[in-house]
Amino acid sequence: MLSMLEEVVLLAVDERTGNLRSTREFGTAYALVGAVFFDLALARKIDTDTEAIRIIDTTPTGNATLDRVLAEMARRPNLTTVREWIEEIFHRRQDLEGEALASLIAQGILRHEKSKLLWIIDVERFPVVDDSRQRHVKQRLQHAILSDEIPDTRDIMLLSIAEPCGLLSYVLSDEQIEARKERIRALSNLETISRKVTAAIVSLDATMRQAMTKVV
Amino acid sequence: MIQVTEETRSGWLVVSVRGRADADAADNLEGALRAAVDGHPKVAADFSALDYISSAGIRAVLQAARAAQGRQSEFAICGMSASVKKVFDMSGLHHILRIHGELPC
Repeated sequence: MLSMLEEVVLLAVDERTGNLRSTREFGTAYALVGAVFFDLALARKIDTDTEAIRIIDTTPTGNATLDRVLAEMARRPNLTTVREWIEEIFHRRQDLEGEALASLIAQGILRHEKSKLLWIIDVERFPVVDDSRQRHVKQRLQHAILSDEIPDTRDIMLLSIAEPCGLLSYVLSDEQIEARKERIRALSNLETISRKVTAAIVSLDATMRQAMTKVV
Repeated sequence: MIQVTEETRSGWLVVSVRGRADADAADNLEGALRAAVDGHPKVAADFSALDYISSAGIRAVLQAARAAQGRQSEFAICGMSASVKKVFDMSGLHHILRIHGELPC
């Protein structure tokens, strides 16, 4: 089974071109951090409530990325809220994406291509080799949103981090998203971690807009 | 740690949960609720003696509710303490779960 982090990165790969896409770059970066927390929660290494995030088991998961984050969290007991940890781990977002891509390549799901644009600029692409995993992730999200069934908690987590960073637009049409926006909002709100991720994205968006207004 | 007791009332299997539904107790909570749903068409989870619920506990409840929906069984959550109700309200769980102030039986 893919990790939540791998599933989010896989959703961001354009199946036609192999380009990594994002409509909201910072949002996607925050979503990667949220995905790591969900992976740790599913592995029963951390637990959260309305106030705090707690480490409940520091034994390794066997996944190098998760174990590194877990070890960092264990070394910083002064950071106790989901928000503080999201901001702390956000600075290491490129490692998260790179490690997830490396894992997807090692599993034969993606391949890595490097080329030069205008003989100067390095361009990296990640064409899909085995599209069954990406299709499976998309189908789960489509079903969670379009049906009225209670989704699996894993799919609720995935939806709640795919939504704030714009990845749902690669899964459903704008009309479908509009028609089901209340359900998307309700499902996205269920998890404490995703509520904090969304709040962080909204806060960052506001900061970016303010900075751009000053520049203009 | 949680303690779970069961009794049948007016056609409902009432599963009363006492204690703290955190990550340590989540498997027990999900197991108890799913077993109840598997064996009975109408299950009410009585949370009036539940002091605390974390994200892991919420996930356990959701998985049990999902199992009930798959079996077309009735599954209701009843009598939450103020602290647990606050978590349910913040999560908006009433949008997808059947929640009652009192037992339906």
